[in-house]
Amino acid sequence: MFRVGRYSIPRPVTRNLEDLDSVQSILLHSDLEPEWLDSVQKNGELFYLELSEDEEEALIQDRSEAHAVNHVRFRENEAEIIQEGSRKERKYEPRLKKFTKILKKKNLLPKPSGKKGNTGCNGHSSGPTSILKHQSTQKMGVTIQQKYKDVCVYVNPKRLSYTGGGREQLRLLETLVGIVHQSSWSTRRAEKQGQDKSIKEISEEKLVVHGLVPGSSAMKTGQILIGDALIAVNDVDVNSENIERVLSCIPDPMQVKLTFETSVFEPEGTSQQKYKQAQSSMNNLVKLLWGEDNTDLQLAIQGVPHIVMYLTLKLDSETSKDEQEILYQYPISEASQKLKSVRGIFLTLCDLLENVTGAHIISSSLFLSGKLVQVVYWKESDKLLVVGLPAESVPLSQLRNMIVDVVRTLKFMYHSLDSAFCQVENVSRLDHFFNLFFQRAIQPVRLNSNTSPSAHHYDTYSALLLDSLPGVRWLTLPQEVKMEIDTALSDLEAADFAELSEDYFNMRRLYMILGSCLFYKGYLIANHLPKDDLIDIALYGRHYCLLPLAAEQRIGQLVIWREIFPHHHIQQCEASSATGYREPEARYFLLIVGLRHFMLCVLLEAGGCTSKAIGNPGPDCIYVDQVKATILQLEGIDSNIEERLDSPSVPLLSCADWFLPASRDRLDSFSNPPILSKLQNTSKTAISPTSTRTLFGDYSLRTRKQSPSRIGGASDSGCEEPEESGGLNPHATQDQVTKKKHTLPNPFNLGNLKKNLSEKNTELYNAVKLTSGPENTLFHYLSLETMQGIFITPTHKEVAHLSGSIHPQLIKNFHRCCLSIRSIFQQTIMKEKKKREGIGTSSLPSKANSDLDLVREHGILFECSPDNWTDQKKPPPTMTYWVVGRLFLHPKPQEFYVCFHDSVTEVAVELAFKLSFGLAI
Amino acid sequence: MAEPGGSPVSLLCLAATSGVPLFYRGAPTRHQLPFSVIGSLNGVHMFGSNLDVALTAARTEGTRVLWRAFHNSITLIVMSSEEGASDFTLSRLLDNVFSAMVLVLGLEELANIRNVERLKKDLRACYKLIDSFLMPGERIGDLTHCVECVLVPCSTILQECLTAFTRAAESRFGCLLVGGRVAVATEPWWQLAPQEVNLLAWLVGSLLPSTTRDYPVYLPQGSPMVPHRLLTFQLLPGLDICLLCGPSPSLEAVKTELVPRFWKPLLEPLRACACPPSVPLHPGVLAFLLINREQKRSLSAVLPRGVQAEGPALPLGSCASVLRAFYALVVSHYFPCEGSPVPPLELPLGGGSHSAQHCYVVSAGYKAYAAQAPPHQLFLLLAPEVPTFALRPLATHILQYLVLQLGNKRQTPRDQIPTCQESTDADYWGPESPLRQGE
Repeated sequence: MFRVGRYSIPRPVTRNLEDLDSVQSILLHSDLEPEWLDSVQKNGELFYLELSEDEEEALIQDRSEAHAVNHVRFRENEAEIIQEGSRKERKYEPRLKKFTKILKKKNLLPKPSGKKGNTGCNGHSSGPTSILKHQSTQKMGVTIQQKYKDVCVYVNPKRLSYTGGGREQLRLLETLVGIVHQSSWSTRRAEKQGQDKSIKEISEEKLVVHGLVPGSSAMKTGQILIGDALIAVNDVDVNSENIERVLSCIPDPMQVKLTFETSVFEPEGTSQQKYKQAQSSMNNLVKLLWGEDNTDLQLAIQGVPHIVMYLTLKLDSETSKDEQEILYQYPISEASQKLKSVRGIFLTLCDLLENVTGAHIISSSLFLSGKLVQVVYWKESDKLLVVGLPAESVPLSQLRNMIVDVVRTLKFMYHSLDSAFCQVENVSRLDHFFNLFFQRAIQPVRLNSNTSPSAHHYDTYSALLLDSLPGVRWLTLPQEVKMEIDTALSDLEAADFAELSEDYFNMRRLYMILGSCLFYKGYLIANHLPKDDLIDIALYGRHYCLLPLAAEQRIGQLVIWREIFPHHHIQQCEASSATGYREPEARYFLLIVGLRHFMLCVLLEAGGCTSKAIGNPGPDCIYVDQVKATILQLEGIDSNIEERLDSPSVPLLSCADWFLPASRDRLDSFSNPPILSKLQNTSKTAISPTSTRTLFGDYSLRTRKQSPSRIGGASDSGCEEPEESGGLNPHATQDQVTKKKHTLPNPFNLGNLKKNLSEKNTELYNAVKLTSGPENTLFHYLSLETMQGIFITPTHKEVAHLSGSIHPQLIKNFHRCCLSIRSIFQQTIMKEKKKREGIGTSSLPSKANSDLDLVREHGILFECSPDNWTDQKKPPPTMTYWVVGRLFLHPKPQEFYVCFHDSVTEVAVELAFKLSFGLAI
Repeated sequence: MAEPGGSPVSLLCLAATSGVPLFYRGAPTRHQLPFSVIGSLNGVHMFGSNLDVALTAARTEGTRVLWRAFHNSITLIVMSSEEGASDFTLSRLLDNVFSAMVLVLGLEELANIRNVERLKKDLRACYKLIDSFLMPGERIGDLTHCVECVLVPCSTILQECLTAFTRAAESRFGCLLVGGRVAVATEPWWQLAPQEVNLLAWLVGSLLPSTTRDYPVYLPQGSPMVPHRLLTFQLLPGLDICLLCGPSPSLEAVKTELVPRFWKPLLEPLRACACPPSVPLHPGVLAFLLINREQKRSLSAVLPRGVQAEGPALPLGSCASVLRAFYALVVSHYFPCEGSPVPPLELPLGGGSHSAQHCYVVSAGYKAYAAQAPPHQLFLLLAPEVPTFALRPLATHILQYLVLQLGNKRQTPRDQIPTCQESTDADYWGPESPLRQGE
């Protein structure tokens, strides 16, 4: 019918880096203008996020509202300055323009005020009908009431494989969208009669859905019902006459809004419910990051009193304006209004308590309409930063950590609080920052993925705990992989590539790479940065939710560039001329490039030995491409990392449910529970395909082989004889393993244990069991090392393997306990710090007393029983377990938290601490 | 703020509506907070309550401030820079202080202030009692809200005698206090709210030494409006008989007739009570607190340390305060304590089907262990030399042994903790007991 070729846009150069699979191609690619270039802001900053195609498709399909976009650009914060409507138009302009242009040329676009457009096309009577207009989510209800519904589907014309030339009518509708429409007999007759105008109406037959193509995007939405009539595509009226033309105008993969007239009334409630379900939490996160319409997220926390304010204590008495002491505030909602109105309390308390006690105020508690709200303070010179959150969301001790982190991140980004809060252009950026902050604080679970099976293990408390640790989650890797990564990063840091060598352009290079760190799925896998810088970057990533993003979503491309003010360098610069060494007076830049699950953060220095940065330099293509190339170079190792993530944890963990007598019987009788058989499968495919051992033997073998350190022949052996582990050959161990009788079907061979061997303290595992006795009794652990700024805890997958009824609760409880234990430890650390400061000035006697209540260890014994215990005759079986936290103050504070079964003797616990965790001391 | 020697706790009481300071207790007068500070502290609270926002607490590094309004007429503000102070302990303190005011003055006068100046004068009567809450010493009943009991020998004889004496005095409420703790009491006395029993005991301890007293008291929960007469008779130093009664009998009648008649024959057992023998426990135990949650009774002691102790040790005085702090930590975090009027200021843990059973803290100067086996809870403060792995067996043994012994000797369920009947302490905590095995 119509030849689209004339209008079709030449396919843009592969936007998606997924298509590129070699370093060569990326270098080739670098000659082209990178797609993020438009997004660079005036001040040089860049925040460009693009999801991979699969993710985006899923994402868009989940979202019921229309965003006729393929690749969304997010210009950091600019979005918020522009008004809602215009902003979107602008944002999606390039792509949409094309489509609109095409439609216009074909005279398909209805006049904005056209009668048809209003009546037939969409149910939104308010606002002009425009292809560029996006439905807001709330309007859905209205649509349904008027018997129209909008369904968004993802279409990808590139996937079409044209087998033959002759395209039948409605072919595209079927192939592209997946809607089967069979022209009725009358239509066919009408067609035969050609252009007879008298029966034109009949010819423009309604496109009633007669069927859905399995697997098609229409099917996937689940919202298109047989019997619905398609009346508009992206607000363009369609009928059997023009549908093919309209659809053929879709140049690229994109999301299309289909408007249906539905014959069935769908109750509003259910559809909204469905909508809510469909809205996976990850979408929420992405939406937040993009700064898109997140009204539903906002609405959810609107009733929760929360506020951040930056107040000045020095008031200019001459200009007595209302609210002049508020330099910044977020959000502006009714619940926070109340908190704002009592800012007098905050100011007075701050002043008063400082006068009386000589110390800065830390926190205060308020009861606000029956809710306890905690307010924390940060005072700097004559300014006061105040953050208030309800106690039910965040316990006070955590809130105090959070404000410290916020301040640190803001200083990292803007050098000082003053420069962050007092510049007008930052307001929208801070709004975005604090929007993310409060979303994370109040509903962390919604932001984390609910698609991952382990999500329910990681509830509010774990989010609270892990987010506040002064460290980065570290994933230990096999030595070879580690080496490969380190080499790649070192190559990058050497900045020896052609374009960057100074000879090449005969000029000084722009930046020196101070260091880099690599994240995979939110785990730190390599770090070449000093601890302070690492923490700074990790905090930045945490506040912008970059780590969970990379963990759950495949990032098409992420490029972040901004000038930063690393705490560590800036401070040294200002204060340490006495040591003889001075940090160069330089400017620092942070470059983060994310591809798929990888995220590489690079800290750059300009000034020093490189040329001085002038103005607000944007990201340099060469550097971005080199970083990208480094990631692509490391591409191959992701299977190794996945393998590591899939492997059972080291040290081995047990599931709490195995320790309940009832389930133990059950497991014994079946001896092949689903969890384990699953494990067996993975193990067979992944690691030891040749093994034909029994389940347990196989499993043990696998864990041994998996043991990453083959250095020194330290393949580990069975449970009881750790001493013999060194010299055993595989055959012997296999025998041993098969001979072994396990009382429980879980791998009760030796857990592995980190050892301090190489330059990083935790890469090497060795075969020592963490708990003694015939059964492995370790449930969970968390080890925080502030020397390196890292912490280790079982991976999400490891936790997910150990599912059960009690285990998730146990982990939840573990995290809650860690929160409270940690708050006690923090007091100790604070006292210790004070003491050290005090030693120089005050005399000793006071020290002796305060020394005594430095808490070193804190443990709680819990008892639990299954929830749904139906047997009335017998009391429910109980299981007891310890949660123990230990703090080592020297040389650098280290915190260890373990959760283990009660059956471990106290001596063994002591030993375990000494052996495993104590090694780092 | 914390002046050496002075109490690190300052307590302010103001009339809520007018903001007039009613009294100030705590640091010596010369370190008293300036009036402007008092005004501001009250001002911020008033400002908030006008806007429907109740300010409850604030803290700086090392200092905590708590506000609490009672019946919209009295505002109490406490400012503490104590080491072990927590919101839980301070909240309990405010609670106790107000109850003490009610005990002495009655709720009527406090809830509707007619004459501020008169109230100020009247309130002087409870200064001593309030001060005792600011400096609790070795006692812990103010924190636990459980009746503090003491073990005495020959309690059955004393119990019988007390019951007869109370009946003769036309009362139902009678109690024998030894060193401010309840040794024996009549059944109705036990049925008073534990906080009231504690208040009465603390009141007796805080009044000027006198052989007989006739003191009007309002029971904060039992009868906050109608006063009763509290009659006390000192039998021996540190040993008081208390009676709660109505208008009759006269103090004189009881003093001259009943007291000699009933108590003279029991002089010897009373003498034995007056200096209760120390409880021999494992030498590592510095202090302990045993609570029966069902009966709301507690038994606590700070044990003198042997000479063999080496290394850094807690001074005897601070043992009690460390135990208090540990108790506050455990109860506010792990062991749920139902019926607590204190709002949940800290994040409560446990919950669901996972309940905390034991808890311990190891610090440089001490170790502390808490164990619960409903209805009992045991809190131990131990010397740092006791190895950590030995804490649990030690605590379970002490708890089990104690409960077992009490169970065996029990005659009436009421007597579980406070009394040890017919047995002397020597065989009760005998050297053959498992408690001594850890030595």
